[in-house]
Amino acid sequence: MTETASDSELLRLSAEGDRAAFTSFMNRYAAPVHRFLVALGANEDDAEDALQECFISAWRGAGTYRGRGSARAWLFTIARHAHRRQYRRRVGEPAQVESLEVLGERAGWGTPADFTAAFEAAEELNWVLGQLPKEEREVVVLRDLEGLTGAETANVLGVSVASMKSRLHRGRLRLMGVLRRGEGARG
Amino acid sequence: MADLDREVGGLRCRDVLAFLADYVDGELDQSVKEKVEAHLGGCDWCEKFGGEYSSVVSSLRRALREDVRSPSVSKRLKERMRKAWDDGVE
Repeated sequence: MTETASDSELLRLSAEGDRAAFTSFMNRYAAPVHRFLVALGANEDDAEDALQECFISAWRGAGTYRGRGSARAWLFTIARHAHRRQYRRRVGEPAQVESLEVLGERAGWGTPADFTAAFEAAEELNWVLGQLPKEEREVVVLRDLEGLTGAETANVLGVSVASMKSRLHRGRLRLMGVLRRGEGARG
Repeated sequence: MADLDREVGGLRCRDVLAFLADYVDGELDQSVKEKVEAHLGGCDWCEKFGGEYSSVVSSLRRALREDVRSPSVSKRLKERMRKAWDDGVE
């Protein structure tokens, strides 16, 4: 029964201590959340630790989920916090303040060339994503890879939809620039 | 290098660059969308770049669908959660 239940129902049952319901919830989201954590730059060990921390927090906090936003966005928000706690003491990345035009030109705007975008392996995709500043990487992962809606993505990131869109556009342009420059490096 | 202030269809190339994400995501108002399409129809550079931008977004979305990661992540998580429950996590 739990395999077909809605996310909200699984979390309601989890809040009552139903481990089977929570296990179904884990089955649904373990892989996407793990993929998100790896894309944010966590190594395999850190990603699995943050994954466990995320789901323990979700188990403990299932009763606080009110169903106003999607459970998926709620869970990604918890995962993002787990990742940030893990990397809090590490040196931050410098702010990237290039104009849209500069990012566009690096991405090939105004300088047409043959260009193909394809990611043949998860490692290749993670390498490319790893070249982006974290703020842009996480919005590209949530919106384009995981398929969250714009509103869900903004909710996870704690920013306005307009700000999310700006980051997304910059992230995509930067990613195009990386793809153009990095053909050899990706090997 | 293209002249990024070139105006085609009532929009400059740099305006199209700013609208591109919303255009590809289908989130532009109809009137702006029509202007962008008019520009793309008459500007080879923007038309080509817009196609590349769109192909990157499609590739990202396809990458997820084609990710046939083994179920080991889920399996290990469930093992760790079972242990956490056994250890008294409420």
